[in-house]
Amino acid sequence: MEYKTENEIIKEIKKVFKQAKCSIKKERRIEVILNKRNIMEFALRMQKNWDFPHLSAISCVDWIDEKQFELVYHFWSYNKKVLVSAKIRIPREKEPHTDSIASLWQPAKFFERDIHEMFGVVFDGNNELEKYILTDWDGPPPMRKDFITREFALNFYSYREYNPEWLQEIIKQGDKND
Amino acid sequence: MEEKLTQRSVWEKILNKLRKRSLWMLHYCTGCGAIELPPTMTARFDMERFGITPMVTPRQADILLITGYLSAKTLKRVILTYEQMQAPKWVVGFGSCTINGGMYWNSYATIKKLDRYVPVEIYIAGCMPRPEAIINSFNVLIQRIDEGKANSWKDYYENYDYYKKNQEAVLGKFDTLVDIKDDAKKFNIV
Repeated sequence: MEYKTENEIIKEIKKVFKQAKCSIKKERRIEVILNKRNIMEFALRMQKNWDFPHLSAISCVDWIDEKQFELVYHFWSYNKKVLVSAKIRIPREKEPHTDSIASLWQPAKFFERDIHEMFGVVFDGNNELEKYILTDWDGPPPMRKDFITREFALNFYSYREYNPEWLQEIIKQGDKND
Repeated sequence: MEEKLTQRSVWEKILNKLRKRSLWMLHYCTGCGAIELPPTMTARFDMERFGITPMVTPRQADILLITGYLSAKTLKRVILTYEQMQAPKWVVGFGSCTINGGMYWNSYATIKKLDRYVPVEIYIAGCMPRPEAIINSFNVLIQRIDEGKANSWKDYYENYDYYKKNQEAVLGKFDTLVDIKDDAKKFNIV
């Protein structure tokens, strides 16, 4: 494989963002690791200069051991047929701040609202960060790794007891086989 | 006969005979259980031979069929729907999700025991229950209505404080715009 178009895109990116780490993951998939400050400029160039009109998604990863959140922006080009995943890392605080790209892509408002609800990341410049799915939820952002779902569910809700005799017999037999 | 035959009880018996053959069902499809309803309604299993048809509005429905899991957000809608229904009304919990959370039991948003929030007449166990099980449970419901035993809806008026307390523990304070205690006086329950 030669990865002709992929290498051309990386060359273009490298001209402007010299410190960005670019790599080809596989055919038609490029990963770009950026500084947090550059994401707005990067997104603008993707849209205006480099022919990536489509923002597929924004996703968030909680790296709890490294005390960082990773935001992944997926850009797709219809002409080049390449997906560029731009990754930035932001510190893992109670309310980490980062720039919103909603002024470039309207759908980004929706993705950012989702991430704000599930991870508590605040996007500066996005004024529509109200609750989306969890309208009656007051607790911590539930997709953070330090929120232990099972523990919360066991304490908050009550469960129906179900322990019939036939089930106990099966459990006993299972122990013997082990 | 052991019980006294008053005018009221005779009327109630006649009404029950009529009620049991014209049950209108509102199905609240949140989870995967909805997929079992089309075959139940249509030609293959044909629910309508028992007089059960789907109904689009809660105001005219008798059965509230809750298929699949409920989250805290959808529970609020279920309560609003349930309180709009005219009594007598029966809730049928469908699938293991309504019984004990089902396979989503360890989620922070899934409601575990439906009968803590609205009174449930019948549970259908299974994940998923087949259309035969749904029709069987409706037959049990019809039989209970005929015998005058299907009185779970009265429990909501009698023990409203208990249900309200459980609802508010999950959803916080909210207003349903239906005065249950006033309704209870109309049915001569309190």
